[in-house]
Amino acid sequence: MSTEQSPDSSGDRGDRYPRRIPGQSLGRRGFLSHTGFGLGALALADLLRQEGLLANPAKPQFEAPFNDLQARAPHFPPRATAMISLFMHGGPAHMDLTDPKPQLQKLDGMDYGGEVAYSFVNRASKRLLGSPWKFTACGQSGTQISELLPNLQRIADDICLVRSMHTGHNGHEVSIRYFHGGIPAVLGRPTLGSWLTYALGSESRDLPSYMVLVDPEGHPVDGVTNWSSGFMPPLFQGTALRAKEPRIPNLVPPPWLAGPLQNKNLAFLDSLNRRHGQRHPREPDLDARIASYELAARMQLSATDALDISQETAATHRLYGLDDPVTKEYGTRCLIARRLVERGVRFVQLFLGGQPWDNHSNIREGLPAICRRTDKPAAALVQDLKSRGMLDTTLVHWGGEIGRLPVTEGEGSGCGRDHNGQGFSIWMAGGGVKPGIAFGETDEVGHRAVTDVVTPNDWQATVLRLFGLDHERLVYRHDGVEQRLTAGRPARIVDGILA
Amino acid sequence: MFPANRFPSPTLPGVALAIVWMTMAGTCPADDIPSFERDIRPILRAHCLDCHGGSDPFEGNLDLRQVRSMLRGGDSGAALVAGNAGESLVLERIRSGEMPPSTLKVKPEELALLERWVAAGAPTARPEPETIPPGLGITPEEREWWAFRPLFSPTLPAVSRPELVSQPIDAFLLARLEHEGLSFSPSADRATLIRRASFDLLGLPPSAEEVDAFVADPDPAAWEKLVERLLSSPRYGERWGRHWLDAAGYADSAGATQDDPLRPYAWKFRDWVVRALNADMPLDRFLLEQLAGDELVPQPHSQLPPDAIDRLTATGFLRMAADGTTGGGDPESRNRVISDTLAIVSTSLLGLSVGCAQCHDHRYDPIPQSDYYALRAIFEPALDPLAWKAPNERLVSLFTDADRARSAEIEAEAVAASKELEEKQAKAIAAALEKELLKHPEALREQLGTAARTPEQGRTPEQQQLLKERPSVNISPGVLYQYDQAAADELKALGDSIAAIRARKPVEDFLQVLTEPPGHLPQTRIFHRGDHRQPKGEVAPADLEVTGSEGETGLPNDDSSLPTSGRRLAWARRLTSGRHPLLGRAIVNRFWMHHFGRGIVGTPADFGRLGERPTHPELLDWLAVDLADSGWSLKRFHRMVLLSTAWQQASARRPELDAIDADNRLVGRMPVRRLEAEAVRDRILAAAGTLDPTPFGPAVPVIADEAGEFVVKDSLPRRSLWLQQRRSMPVQFLATFDAPSMQTNCDRRTHSTVAGQALLLMNSDFVLRQARSMADTTIAEAGSQAVADDAPPADEAIALASAVHRAWRRAFNRAPDEEEQAASATFLTDELTILRGGAPEIATPAERRSRAMANLCQQLLSSNEFLYVD
Repeated sequence: MSTEQSPDSSGDRGDRYPRRIPGQSLGRRGFLSHTGFGLGALALADLLRQEGLLANPAKPQFEAPFNDLQARAPHFPPRATAMISLFMHGGPAHMDLTDPKPQLQKLDGMDYGGEVAYSFVNRASKRLLGSPWKFTACGQSGTQISELLPNLQRIADDICLVRSMHTGHNGHEVSIRYFHGGIPAVLGRPTLGSWLTYALGSESRDLPSYMVLVDPEGHPVDGVTNWSSGFMPPLFQGTALRAKEPRIPNLVPPPWLAGPLQNKNLAFLDSLNRRHGQRHPREPDLDARIASYELAARMQLSATDALDISQETAATHRLYGLDDPVTKEYGTRCLIARRLVERGVRFVQLFLGGQPWDNHSNIREGLPAICRRTDKPAAALVQDLKSRGMLDTTLVHWGGEIGRLPVTEGEGSGCGRDHNGQGFSIWMAGGGVKPGIAFGETDEVGHRAVTDVVTPNDWQATVLRLFGLDHERLVYRHDGVEQRLTAGRPARIVDGILA
Repeated sequence: MFPANRFPSPTLPGVALAIVWMTMAGTCPADDIPSFERDIRPILRAHCLDCHGGSDPFEGNLDLRQVRSMLRGGDSGAALVAGNAGESLVLERIRSGEMPPSTLKVKPEELALLERWVAAGAPTARPEPETIPPGLGITPEEREWWAFRPLFSPTLPAVSRPELVSQPIDAFLLARLEHEGLSFSPSADRATLIRRASFDLLGLPPSAEEVDAFVADPDPAAWEKLVERLLSSPRYGERWGRHWLDAAGYADSAGATQDDPLRPYAWKFRDWVVRALNADMPLDRFLLEQLAGDELVPQPHSQLPPDAIDRLTATGFLRMAADGTTGGGDPESRNRVISDTLAIVSTSLLGLSVGCAQCHDHRYDPIPQSDYYALRAIFEPALDPLAWKAPNERLVSLFTDADRARSAEIEAEAVAASKELEEKQAKAIAAALEKELLKHPEALREQLGTAARTPEQGRTPEQQQLLKERPSVNISPGVLYQYDQAAADELKALGDSIAAIRARKPVEDFLQVLTEPPGHLPQTRIFHRGDHRQPKGEVAPADLEVTGSEGETGLPNDDSSLPTSGRRLAWARRLTSGRHPLLGRAIVNRFWMHHFGRGIVGTPADFGRLGERPTHPELLDWLAVDLADSGWSLKRFHRMVLLSTAWQQASARRPELDAIDADNRLVGRMPVRRLEAEAVRDRILAAAGTLDPTPFGPAVPVIADEAGEFVVKDSLPRRSLWLQQRRSMPVQFLATFDAPSMQTNCDRRTHSTVAGQALLLMNSDFVLRQARSMADTTIAEAGSQAVADDAPPADEAIALASAVHRAWRRAFNRAPDEEEQAASATFLTDELTILRGGAPEIATPAERRSRAMANLCQQLLSSNEFLYVD
């Protein structure tokens, strides 16, 4: 193959800012050169440049849609270079978890005087339901957190709790699409992970830049469109790992084929495809497929390694709760998320199946159950990133698309709470957010965000800012229209949560 | 060749010529005075009218449906002061963010338009009536939306290069391109065209021989002949049937619950679709039978002649929705089935998802909530939650009286034989018992014998105890062989012969159908906020109001000439009248999409304001009218498309085209398209020479392999269409290449490019096995080449040259050029060298050559030339 080069010759990689992985003994490039795996040399950027497909690299940023995964510098020095999003869709009941409401406790059982925005009118009630759970002031910061989240209580000083989220829509789909794609209810737009990948390219040539870890219980609402790239090329869509082993099907060839034979195969395939590509220049899908083989080949090595949690110490296993059947599954995914980010993956998102936070009924059993499953692993992730010096540049996000109402849905011990997009909580940690604060407020019963209201568009603008990106300048031109994650809707950077 | 006319036609106002594909309300040009009906009401409809106009009573006593009532105002006073934007309360509330209460706020440009309108004196397009009926109604402006306007047959536009117009569709496309200063791309070469046509019409590649013959065909009508040959292939219905099954939401299981129970007779509908398309059944008939085939068959549904069976089978279309009512289901799950069925029907036939109107009047489109329930009323006699048919009650037996008589006759024979067996058995056991008793103390024999001979249920506790102590006298048929092998053998032979008798019975076969009980006319009520527990006013069956003139969309409640209500039949006839605005546009758009990769409307299931606008509205209408007026022949439609200049264009990108229209919405070239999941798999099987073309019949089972991946049982190489589509067990290969998972139905496929596809092609057992088959076939076809076992790898590679040539022709339907042949030889040399150093079982000459060749074949099967059609 004429493209054989040393793996380090891939040109400018946008390494303008310090890389975030200290202490990794065998770096990505070192790893590739050690294995002598020829395909590591077939960097897409090189390839595209040879084919005349890549715009002159000296061109100013964001001039034209990129069609590659070359690492790119952001607009400003970034605080975060990677993000792990623990998406808690379904609507975690903030007044039972993160947003104590003394007035609600007082008025428990009484009718609420204000207007309530319901989703399920037929089950609507105005009777307030005080939280059955106790809150404690935690850490130096004194942030009040519920007894349902004992592990989160322990890291209260590391997190930035936002209590004033607001989508204005109570429905799951409407708000989920708002969070991922920037416009309520509209499907088919690129997701946050796509925008980050598009804007910043990939720091890993061995793993997809945008990875999704799904639940064994199944896909979230809207299925795979939660990680679609919308109108952007498929290069920027999320790669979902299977919920069970083998997490990546067909990752490994049969023994006789592995190694030199498969390398020859792929080199031959690449030459076929490039010859074919000469007849179809500038065809994004063909280029993306060439890149997909290169990625697949590299994934065989690096993904096997990244997914091998047996390399972790027993202490780490315990930290994430892998020794407990209740936390083992989610803990494993949190740990894998850390290992992926460690290897240069830009954006990792974890989903849950079956909406376990959607406690319309029987909240007294349902809510503690999902807390038990996720609280320890989520807190462990923050602690672990911190102890490895990765938290500074890794933004951890925990949150759903809505919260829940302060009034009861249904009666008696089997009661629950209905959807509430008017006010709810999320938390973040690391990546340049202010630790140990609780930001914003809902009203006295927790129905509506009233102070420092944060919409998903505000949140998106802020996340992009942490990555050094200006949400107004990060543009993807599609059919003559300048598209943005925040879609030209009102969006402000929430300065109050920036460190 | 075609009458020329001005373009755009003056009879189609609002056909924007600028490339604006998707615009929402609020696009009134700056120099124009906005009018209430055209510009303002859509904004209010989206944000306000749900509470201030559509509800009863109005919130705050404010009715925003008319300027008159806005001036009158509500509890807070006048909402509007004409000419004074600053003092109009409605604007103030919007500006302050107080209204609307949801965060889906009025957009700044919409607010600006409102202000401009108020400042201009709040004009209306026409005088407003004193009173209007309750509800939002449908305004003339809403009726003007492109999808709802009556179908219209435009004259063909003039073009500056008429020589490029081969078919009427070319005129529309070319006129639009020329308007942008563009034109068609040159024609693709013949080899490209035959490949493209084969995949388009059959979903399978042509053989290399077919390509050669077509390329060399001197007949001026060679192309027409080819298109005819492809259209008459039985593979055609398999390809286009798959498209229709996407729209119908076809699955071989019920979904909705964890069990995902199988639907063992669903495949009959699939086969019906394939046969109907192969026969070019007129599409009006095709749709009519799917919606109301049962109403064309006399009741009761027994002794069914073949054409009656076909019509009933067609109603399987209405049994495709996911269904959690196995065992009967609760009201919630029954209503869910009904709403999913309506979703399938409306997205596939109307190009609209009417689901929004289930809970309230549609916020963007003129679909009142009552319309949704009027549609539901069409189906209610057959899909009545209060007289629900669980899945196993939807089966119609195909048994005839003759079958039944024959079955009874055989059963009588079997019963007679069984009697003989029982007698012989009793005798043998009695004899064995007598013999056995001799082995026990004499004093006990009588007592023991009586106990053993007493039927088990009648034994006293003493007898039971006795037999427990001496179990050997308790001789059952199952243990008789231990006492008398010969008798047991004889009895077993008798038993087998009885089973053989019963096996001669005709097998009772079933159809999965939708039928209506005679005379069943349940009430349909509007559900408040879509909640089935809150039924409100009754509605009568009707088509969507916006699809006809006022009062014209109603359907008969009960057709007295039929045992059934006749509602579905009446609606189906209305839909297929040839002038239904939605049906005509929706189906031609769908067919267009399959030919060109995207529809004239990019959102085939949403023709409303949130969907995309047609790129070529006149063409869309022309096609819809032409289809109906020419006898609803789909094959004629294909012929017209394939014989067009547009379809025969080359696919290479052109900079001048990309600059204006990178997504190729103007069809200035053909797109390079990745094959759909089924076509990728089928093409691999075809190239490997393993494809089993057997059509029809029960679904080929799918199982989980050791890794938990869903694969075809016994790796049967049938076409993908025939594989079982269990919702919870998507075949891994197909799902990885974006085959739909059928939650409801699939209005268009996505085409992802992900590393998982690469890994599948690199490492999966399926691909590796097919590559090996292909290698062994090509080596065998090439014949034995004289090369010594220990010949150098380069010589071995040369000896495989003929096999390489064949592999190329199998994969790409063309011969390799010299460079490709040379590169293949180099590749094989390298691989053979590596394989020689491998394990001994690999290193035998035949084995290593086969493996090297398999690796070559695998790369061909994984390449872009293989996966894409240009």
